[in-house]
Amino acid sequence: MANSLRLYLTCIRNTLEAAMCLQNFPCQEVERHNKPEVELKTSPELLLKPILICRNEAEKCLIETSINSLRISLKVKQADELENILTKKFLRFLSMRAEAFQVLRRKPVQGYDISFLITNYHCEEMQKHKLIDFIVQFMEDIDKEISELKMSVNTRGRLVAAEFLKQFV
Amino acid sequence: MSATREFVEADNAEAIITRIEHKSRKIESLLKQSKPVEALKTALEGSPPNTRDERCKSANWIVVHRAIMAIKDLDALFSSLDPEYYDILMKYLYRGLSTGDRPTCDQCLRIHERLTEKAGLGCILRSLADTMNTV
Repeated sequence: MANSLRLYLTCIRNTLEAAMCLQNFPCQEVERHNKPEVELKTSPELLLKPILICRNEAEKCLIETSINSLRISLKVKQADELENILTKKFLRFLSMRAEAFQVLRRKPVQGYDISFLITNYHCEEMQKHKLIDFIVQFMEDIDKEISELKMSVNTRGRLVAAEFLKQFV
Repeated sequence: MSATREFVEADNAEAIITRIEHKSRKIESLLKQSKPVEALKTALEGSPPNTRDERCKSANWIVVHRAIMAIKDLDALFSSLDPEYYDILMKYLYRGLSTGDRPTCDQCLRIHERLTEKAGLGCILRSLADTMNTV
């Protein structure tokens, strides 16, 4: 179980190291504009093949690269309804504060839970291997956070129910 | 030039599919003799590089998938596989990873890790960038 997570993260790390080859590229259609090509997808010669890495039926990771930007979309494992709600709320909380994270995208790509957009400017300001470390660490931590949240919700529910029902004993 | 190519491909598609069927019979017999490495080599050999036909690609993928799932010993695989097959294997691994089926993904992730150690990041980038010879 832990081994399959390790293999999944290693695969994503290797693919990101290979795919994160970004350079500045001003927009071809409009003068003096500089847009992340992976978002617009106007010219096929600027895009690489999108890669989908699935760990199992529930978890997957979509990596789309272009000449000046890279988009990573993650779908996190959600075992039951409670985890579903917790994941949605937690990741929406993070996405709304995307300014602080710089590489986070405000809305996840359709069909995924959270998305990152890395441009050539990020690669110039920050170190490439540190960016990749951040993303892999994020994926590891998300699972832990969601389980912690779930446990705290269950504990609180139990305590509240016990207190409430004491009056009927 | 491209018009003649489409014409050639339509004829070739049938020929390629029959070739793939022959290959799959050979691979089944190799697997029965417990030679999974040979089976994988045969599967990767005749990979249709220039067809755009989806059926040929799917037929070949089924054959390669069968061979990949039968592999147990990764060291033996990498000691006997020629480097020229690394790129094609990497492309098929990514195709396997996109299926989402748990045992396929487990196996593909295992092989992917070892293949990256052997072949390096260039192999991954070639499978991302190659639009002519897709699998």
